[in-house]
Amino acid sequence: MHARDPRQASLRAALLSAPGLLWVTLFLLLPLVLIVGTSFLSRGDYGQLERPFTLENYQRFAGFGSLGFDPLYPLIIARSLLLGAATTGLCVLAGLPLAFFVAGLPRRLKTPALTLVVIPLWTNLLIRTYAWQILLAPEGWLTRCATALGLLTPGQSLYPGTLAVCVGMVCDFLPFLVLPLYASVEKIEWTLAEAARDLGAGGWATFRHALLPQIRPGLMAGGILTFIPATGQFVVPDLLGGAKTVLLGNVIQQQFGQSHDWPFGSAVAVLSMTVVLAGLWLYARSATQQGEGLFP
Amino acid sequence: MNRLRPKASRWLLGSISGLLGIFLYAPILVVIVFSFNTARHGTGWHGFTWHWYQALWHNPVALAAARNTLILGVVSTLLATFLGTMLGLGLHRAPFPGRAFFSWAILVPVVVPDIVMAVALLLFFALVRGWLGLFALGLGTMIAAHVTFQIPFVALVVRARLAGLDPALHEAARDLGASPAQAFWRITFPLLWPGIMAGAMLAFTLSLDDFVVSFFTAGPGSGTLPILIYSSVKRGITPDINALSSLLVLASLLATVALVLLERNEATLSNRTANA
Amino acid sequence: MKKTFSVLLLVLAVVLPAPAAHFKLNLFIWSEYIDPGIVSEFEKLYDCKVNLDYFEDEDTMMSKLEAGGAAQYDIVVPPDHCVPAMIKLKLLMPLRHENIKNLRNLEDRFQNPPWDPGNRYTVAYQWGTTGLYVRKTNDQVLPETWGLIFDPKLQPGSFLLLDSMRDMISAALRYLGFDPNSTNPAELKKGRDLLLATKQRAFGFEGGVGGKNKVLDKTVVAAVAYNGDAARGMKEDPATCFILPREGAQMWVDNLAILAHAPNRFVGEKFLDFLLRPDISARLATFNRYATPNKAALRLIKSEDLRNPAIYPPPEVVKTLRFTQDLGRKTRLYDEIWTQVKAK
Repeated sequence: MHARDPRQASLRAALLSAPGLLWVTLFLLLPLVLIVGTSFLSRGDYGQLERPFTLENYQRFAGFGSLGFDPLYPLIIARSLLLGAATTGLCVLAGLPLAFFVAGLPRRLKTPALTLVVIPLWTNLLIRTYAWQILLAPEGWLTRCATALGLLTPGQSLYPGTLAVCVGMVCDFLPFLVLPLYASVEKIEWTLAEAARDLGAGGWATFRHALLPQIRPGLMAGGILTFIPATGQFVVPDLLGGAKTVLLGNVIQQQFGQSHDWPFGSAVAVLSMTVVLAGLWLYARSATQQGEGLFP
Repeated sequence: MNRLRPKASRWLLGSISGLLGIFLYAPILVVIVFSFNTARHGTGWHGFTWHWYQALWHNPVALAAARNTLILGVVSTLLATFLGTMLGLGLHRAPFPGRAFFSWAILVPVVVPDIVMAVALLLFFALVRGWLGLFALGLGTMIAAHVTFQIPFVALVVRARLAGLDPALHEAARDLGASPAQAFWRITFPLLWPGIMAGAMLAFTLSLDDFVVSFFTAGPGSGTLPILIYSSVKRGITPDINALSSLLVLASLLATVALVLLERNEATLSNRTANA
Repeated sequence: MKKTFSVLLLVLAVVLPAPAAHFKLNLFIWSEYIDPGIVSEFEKLYDCKVNLDYFEDEDTMMSKLEAGGAAQYDIVVPPDHCVPAMIKLKLLMPLRHENIKNLRNLEDRFQNPPWDPGNRYTVAYQWGTTGLYVRKTNDQVLPETWGLIFDPKLQPGSFLLLDSMRDMISAALRYLGFDPNSTNPAELKKGRDLLLATKQRAFGFEGGVGGKNKVLDKTVVAAVAYNGDAARGMKEDPATCFILPREGAQMWVDNLAILAHAPNRFVGEKFLDFLLRPDISARLATFNRYATPNKAALRLIKSEDLRNPAIYPPPEVVKTLRFTQDLGRKTRLYDEIWTQVKAK
């Protein structure tokens, strides 16, 4: 091993990273700091950013707006978290069989199968989402089937609504979850499960005790990769939720779009980010507690 | 493993997976099928036609959007690959003050909702424009925005690839008398190249598919295909949008297949997806 | 990989060269609001390239202009109630009337309008009303009231609300018997509650054009829309009709204006002058199916359009129409209400 000056290596490493880091600092970290700052500003009559620094935006978010108390925004946070959790849960339910199936395929079929799973992921989300508008349209087959089966009262439709949003989200995030999950499933030591079976454990118990702990890293990584973006989604609720499913992402879009209330929008964005980073921090802590790396 | 699973559960898993496959592909197929539908409004099938694809060719707005999307994708990918590769190398090489902080900081675009990033950039450009007159919204700002979220992905992919390389090779080259630069360019770089390419393809696809960030940082005349599709969907889905979307799907498909073929000979797929 | 790059470069080489034109004009306008034929005729006449950028509602338009679009577009088409705000925000450039001789073609009521005395910054483009665009079954007789959406008992089916703050809130206020420009918080709260209750039964919010198209493709039965969009829809599908509620609707006038930092001011003024030509105004109105403010153009418009109540409402109906006024500082109340209506 050459004795190389570690300071020189360090300098070289820093120089190499510098352009990229400068870019990221300028165009990512600085704007995020500006968002935090703007969240404390006021909005002028026509939407200009104005000086009086104020906590008004956060107060408004907590429900204390100029028209009296209204727990609107806390409800939206709750709704966003709930939808994120529901999406993640459904994706886990759907992703497990898919991951196990692909893992059980003969070697030469695995990559093509995974490619098939990945392809929708790299197709534009916008296209896939508006396609659900077509699929779930009031005159469409799916709605007619559901009405015939009695799942819907005639006149109601699958789209828009929370169900449509769920469908759109799951369709979007399922590959996100399957990939890391598959990574874990592929590495499963089946001997453990076989041993459990030999000792007389039933199917569910085998799964819970022999398989589940082994796929935990994949589940956690996939879960986080799904839950966090799902809470901040804006396109899917915008196109499939109609007027009824407004999430944090939609509020932010509304404030920076139609309403032109950048200070308030910034406050919502800050809180959105906080939720995300809190979730990430919890995940990182639990991962390091288990003694695992961050990714499987 | 096979001992454990009777045929029945294989069939069960298989059918569930099949249904999920249909679920995942249904939207894509619907768009492609309806792009050939003669009817202008509604969801009924009225006959097969190439008309909408032909109409696209004569639609200056669609062509301009396609041009913008391509320019944006290529330029941002080149820039991001260059910066991201250097970043990945630097972060991997040796510790330096701030490395831990930045390793986490560049994960931000991966996890933070893209709308937060988009409005942050909108605000940043607006403020700078007010003070310095720069950053009028347009293709330039969009490129800057895209590069910003592409760099972390490229850096992560490159870093993962570097972590998978055997350091003994580089050491051996040094032992044999090569300078650090020679050792890098002759040994490390060729081994790294597929990783860089994978990062570039990833960045390109991300740019191609991006809607939210582009939406907020676009200026007049610099709309991209996703922005065009979104405004058209808001106005009412028409078959020419289905035709446009089908073409975009085709482009994404080609890019994905290229990416997979690239990775086929490299480290296992699980490793890459885990670290990406 | 080299192959992919060379393919990409080849595609770039093919796609990049754009036709070079002498002048450029950037137009920021409502979607489906100008005849492409008019645009290309202007392009030929003045050897220039006109870029069109669209918006679906005036709030987004204002937002985009305030966020920096004012220096990149040349011409914008704002509704009357936005103009005073835009003037205060210094977003508009004064018009040089010597370049817009056809201004005298405007009807008297549109010369020197209350929102822009002396036509210093704007010239009228089209005018129209809000209302309801409904698909009806053969024998159905629909009551002419906002109650079609606000009263669950009268609801004809699924419906869309208009994604426009002032138009939608004023409809609610009119239905409740209040002034559509009210700044009374109690009245506004009642309006908000009505809108929230209505939203529960609504399909969603949509711009005027989007709403019209969704009625046409049978996604919904009714939509709050603008009369011209409805008139165009009726032409495509006679099973639809336009209803102007008896409680009263809003009358709006869309205007052409040049933006303060417009890069192409002279060409912009020439475009305004071009649009005010009688033949062009008539062609525009016939395409859009909205009412033209150009009195010289009126004799060039088909009599069946002039008699169409959906385009040119009769005088007794016009009496029930109200303009949307700029409320200055008080617009905040509307913003707050609208955010609550959209977000809940």
